[in-house]
Amino acid sequence: MTTTPAPLDVVKLGENKMLLSLGPQHPSTHGVLQVLTEIEGETITKADPEIGYLHTGIEKSAENLFWHQASTVIERMDYLSPLTNAMCYVLGVEKLLGITDHIPERAQQLRVLLCELSRIASHCVWLGTGGIDLGAISPFFYAFDLRENILDLFEASGGARMHPNYLRIGGLREDVPQGFLDRLDDLIKKFPGRMRELRGVLQKNPIVQDRMIDVAILSADEAVAWNLTGPSLRGSGIAYDVRKAFPYSGYEKYDFEVPTRDEGDAYARFLVRLDEMDQSMAIIRQVREKLVRGAVMIDDTKVGPPPKEAIALSMEALIHHFKYVSEGFRVPPGDVYQAVEGPRGELGYYIVSNGENRPWRIRTRPPSFYNLQVLKKLAIGELIADMVVCIGSLDPVFGEVDR
Amino acid sequence: MPSPQTPPRGGSAVDPTAVRPDIDDAVIIRVEPAQLRGRLEQLKAEGASMLLDIGGVDYLERTPRFDVVYHLLKLPTRVASVDSVATPMRIRVLCGLDDGQTLPTMSDLWPSADWPEREIYDLFGITFDGHPDLRRIQMPVDWEGYPLRKDYPLRGPALERTPRPDFALKSNLLAGTPASGKTAAALAKQIAKIRGQAE
Repeated sequence: MTTTPAPLDVVKLGENKMLLSLGPQHPSTHGVLQVLTEIEGETITKADPEIGYLHTGIEKSAENLFWHQASTVIERMDYLSPLTNAMCYVLGVEKLLGITDHIPERAQQLRVLLCELSRIASHCVWLGTGGIDLGAISPFFYAFDLRENILDLFEASGGARMHPNYLRIGGLREDVPQGFLDRLDDLIKKFPGRMRELRGVLQKNPIVQDRMIDVAILSADEAVAWNLTGPSLRGSGIAYDVRKAFPYSGYEKYDFEVPTRDEGDAYARFLVRLDEMDQSMAIIRQVREKLVRGAVMIDDTKVGPPPKEAIALSMEALIHHFKYVSEGFRVPPGDVYQAVEGPRGELGYYIVSNGENRPWRIRTRPPSFYNLQVLKKLAIGELIADMVVCIGSLDPVFGEVDR
Repeated sequence: MPSPQTPPRGGSAVDPTAVRPDIDDAVIIRVEPAQLRGRLEQLKAEGASMLLDIGGVDYLERTPRFDVVYHLLKLPTRVASVDSVATPMRIRVLCGLDDGQTLPTMSDLWPSADWPEREIYDLFGITFDGHPDLRRIQMPVDWEGYPLRKDYPLRGPALERTPRPDFALKSNLLAGTPASGKTAAALAKQIAKIRGQAE
């Protein structure tokens, strides 16, 4: 058994050079991240992120749950956009089951709607906390006010604000309640005004521009080599978006743009995320217009439980419900890699089934994990004060990094 | 510390990879550990610019026991429009290896391979030769055992002391095995008792 001494807060390495431990309880690390930083004067010469403080063994837990139960723990990985995680997982399992083409249209549309809402909610948190990192407290309240409206919609649809577990293999748990669409219309109506406010307080703010422009620059080649995806990759000029490259759940039917910037600095990534929020709302508006009526769950009682009303009336429904709850369902053997575009980038699940009622292995491709890794390269040569800008511009979520 | 509790039983001797041609999600290539490095170098030269992910799978009873899965993406660099990205090709390279065997590192080809290789070392105990900084990443440095292996217990010693009825430990049974008839027997006993009182 080996033990390493706990790192001291500051260790002097020599003339002008010292080791500084940033975190793991630093407010600007957006979670529990420790960065062992070597600084010369005020310039960073080496940065080594230490992760794992939030490791909860979600992949191990998921292996020991039924297929339909695993999505509850999987939603806890990226806790700022739980629906995206659930979306990716259910799409992967549906591919293994071979029922991708039988998912009702309304369920697919509502999935897209909710995923885009959670993208906006997630970017709101990034915008608010990113502003606080730079000393701007007020935008936090504007951003969280907007997020609050979206969380209200999640609460109306799934019953919970953070982890609704609303997406099920085969469709949705139940249809959205009465009044949901009216509240959505209200949000669509007031969204442009809210975005104007947010852009007003941050985008044109000279302090924000001073702190972000030409800081933490990443070229397109570097971004690809370091495996960046999502807004961090598109801020370096590469228009890779899973929604366009590998459309899922009917994304090919919606008309939206993939915002990119060529500068590759923190401000470019900031603008890409702001533009993405507008594009997400454009998709939501289109889904709202095209929303069809009908069932939201696949008509296959082996995969989806029968409706609650049927259980009291039909013996078969009761049996199916009992089997679903007590034993789950079996998924044919096979392996699949399913990816979706999360708020932070390509979120992927490599799912292996050996034909039983539990997944054999669920490997996550967490976008934050890879986006954070580039900090080793990104922070070198920056000022120590800009470390918070580097971390903030990558938007890591530690539930996902550590899993 | 890992508990001495018996690990979940049941393993898979079958190989469920590449048995589903209907799921056309990637080009699947299976290589031997000795050919891995050369094959990935060749794929990189052919334009697989992104090593999206490296994952591990433990098949427990299969020989070779582990699979290390490399997900590659042929993404062109220096493109600014969605049309020029189009649909990049996904490639999945699977490499089977047994306990004790090692794999060459890819961290010099793709710098992004650094952390996922550390994670596989940490959670599966697979060593990557030539990795610049191979140490645990998720678990504490003094941890013993490799948590994502299938013979690693799910529950720790604290829960082990809690008495639980057999049926609650379904996760420790071979998937698909019927519950041990103890619950039914207990229920039958209760019913018999109630009936006895009624008479």
